[in-house]
Amino acid sequence: MNKTVKAQSNINFKKLISKPEFSSLLILIIMFVITAILQTNFFEIKSIIRNINAFAPLILLSMGQAVVIISGGLDLSAGAALSLFTCVLTTIMKKNDPTTGIYALLITIVVALLVGVINGIGIGYLRIPPVIVTFATSYIWLGISLFLRPTPGGEAVDWFKAFYDVGAVKGMPEFIKAIGGVIPPALVLVLIGCAFWFVISKTRTGRHIYAVGGNSDSAYASGINTAKIQMIACIINSIFILLAALFFVGQNQSGDARMGDPMTLKAIAAAVVGGVALAGGRGSVYFGLVGALILSFVNKIIFFANIPNAYQTLVGGVIVIVAIAGSQAYTLYNKRAMLKESK
Amino acid sequence: MNNLMSIQNGALQNVYEKYKKFIIAFLLIIFLFILGEITVSNFFSLAQILLTIKLAAFIALFGLCQMVVIAAGDGGLDLSVGYTATMTAVLTASIMDGMNENLWKAILVALGIGLVVGVINGVLSAYVKLPPLIVTLAMSNILQGAINVYTAGKNITGKPSPVLTLIAAKSTGIFPNILFILAIVTVVVMIILYKTKWGLMLFGVGSNETTAYLSGVNVKLVRCIAFIISGVLSSLIGLLLIGNMGIAFKDMGSNYVMPSIAAVVVGGVSMAGGDGNYLGVILGSIFLQTLTNLLVALGWGDAGKWTGFGTVLFILLIVYVSNRRSR
Repeated sequence: MNKTVKAQSNINFKKLISKPEFSSLLILIIMFVITAILQTNFFEIKSIIRNINAFAPLILLSMGQAVVIISGGLDLSAGAALSLFTCVLTTIMKKNDPTTGIYALLITIVVALLVGVINGIGIGYLRIPPVIVTFATSYIWLGISLFLRPTPGGEAVDWFKAFYDVGAVKGMPEFIKAIGGVIPPALVLVLIGCAFWFVISKTRTGRHIYAVGGNSDSAYASGINTAKIQMIACIINSIFILLAALFFVGQNQSGDARMGDPMTLKAIAAAVVGGVALAGGRGSVYFGLVGALILSFVNKIIFFANIPNAYQTLVGGVIVIVAIAGSQAYTLYNKRAMLKESK
Repeated sequence: MNNLMSIQNGALQNVYEKYKKFIIAFLLIIFLFILGEITVSNFFSLAQILLTIKLAAFIALFGLCQMVVIAAGDGGLDLSVGYTATMTAVLTASIMDGMNENLWKAILVALGIGLVVGVINGVLSAYVKLPPLIVTLAMSNILQGAINVYTAGKNITGKPSPVLTLIAAKSTGIFPNILFILAIVTVVVMIILYKTKWGLMLFGVGSNETTAYLSGVNVKLVRCIAFIISGVLSSLIGLLLIGNMGIAFKDMGSNYVMPSIAAVVVGGVSMAGGDGNYLGVILGSIFLQTLTNLLVALGWGDAGKWTGFGTVLFILLIVYVSNRRSR
């Protein structure tokens, strides 16, 4: 009796270890500890807020990317869309007219929906390979951003700073400022993203996203409108990107047609490191957050290693390729081990 | 009699089906030239056409790299071509230093760079089974990073050797010399792809992996070799690029990545793999270069160029690649 229980728990333990989520969490904890040791003031509230601000955009992008990947797609236009949103926001807003901020926000929401719909039509309804269609659209977004903002710049209304630092906004009630001093807006944006996905994941659509990503044909055969589901995944991603864009405009008070470019690959890598299978259908959106945190901590550790600025792109690229290849090799290895076990 | 007519019609139909994408690409080019002639003066002239073709030649050469990788199937694409070329150009500029006797060293370096990039891309895509697009995108980041490191805090010195300048930039009579290179490359590529075992293997792997595997083709190796070819070719194109421009700079090649892929799509190469006609790719590159010329002449610059390329690629993907059949 005791033996069987032990054997059972042993198998359960093995199953737990072989889950990609487990290894991501383990790596995250290791990275967290290393960073905490290297950064002397890691646990001071100021540096915590600074870290959250630095990590939030990638977290949002990778969660959005995770949704698309789980639905069986891939979004190479995420970075370009991010730039597009910042450009649209800063083009419409006029610094000394607070109401333009509201117009800008509404119009950018429409643009975000359009971006999601166009990508979704390409991936879902027309069934063009996702990487190629989003590659094409990424250049459309880039072109439009360049039309709006040939050089980085633009202006933003004062209250948009609330997306970055509540304390910097003039005329904000004191108690909100006090809350903002403890809970940074970036964290709120991430929480909004999490809540948004939580709600969707509880609906039928949320489960259908997994079904379509896992096996599109059988999902179709069981009556799911696969094209619509993939389009919805693209729209969800675009909303996550919009949240990141709000943060960036709040932070920089300007738009830049090229600022998002390096984010695309990082977001994909973060989702993969978080255990989201590139083949689709498996993984957790919340673990996109974990993957983003891992990559951000690695970046931080490299920063502490005092690597010259010129090496940043090189090291970033190497990390991404090692991370993705590592996760993929790990998954393959696990699959083989599981097969052996079952034999 | 009636029978003969229908057979003739059928044959005509077949020819039309086979060359449909060619004809579309050709008509698009003509359309652009007419549009250009109407909106911008002096657009449709012999000099202008030759210049367009000369610039398009580079896109077409990069398009060859893409075509080989795409033909091998499995969603293959090589986003690192432009960066490999830049890397080669930047490194070999100081090696050549404007002298012909150093050319062989430069070629060796180019081959080395291409081989390394190609092998890494190929192994990660074919053997580790990572999506080629992500691998090559990461590779382009790495290469760009390496270029940044190499050029950090110093100017890129050196000039191409005169032979390269002669090949890439000069003209014989009115014909730019690069066209002869392109013609030779085209003939060689067509022979290899359509008349040799290797071409058959490449297309076989692209069109049906399982069948190819069952007929004894080493699928992974073929895919890996496709990436190696792409790497080496793009590295050699880097030499031509520096020959054309006379100097090397940090992002001389990166602007060719998107056009090279668009050219392949415009040229009617199936994105699913397993087919590819290089003449179509050349037509596609001429179309894209004409589009660029037109947009630049209209004063829309970079923004217009990228929007135009993106839109054209998107529309043609809808026309050629989309799969609207009911299941």
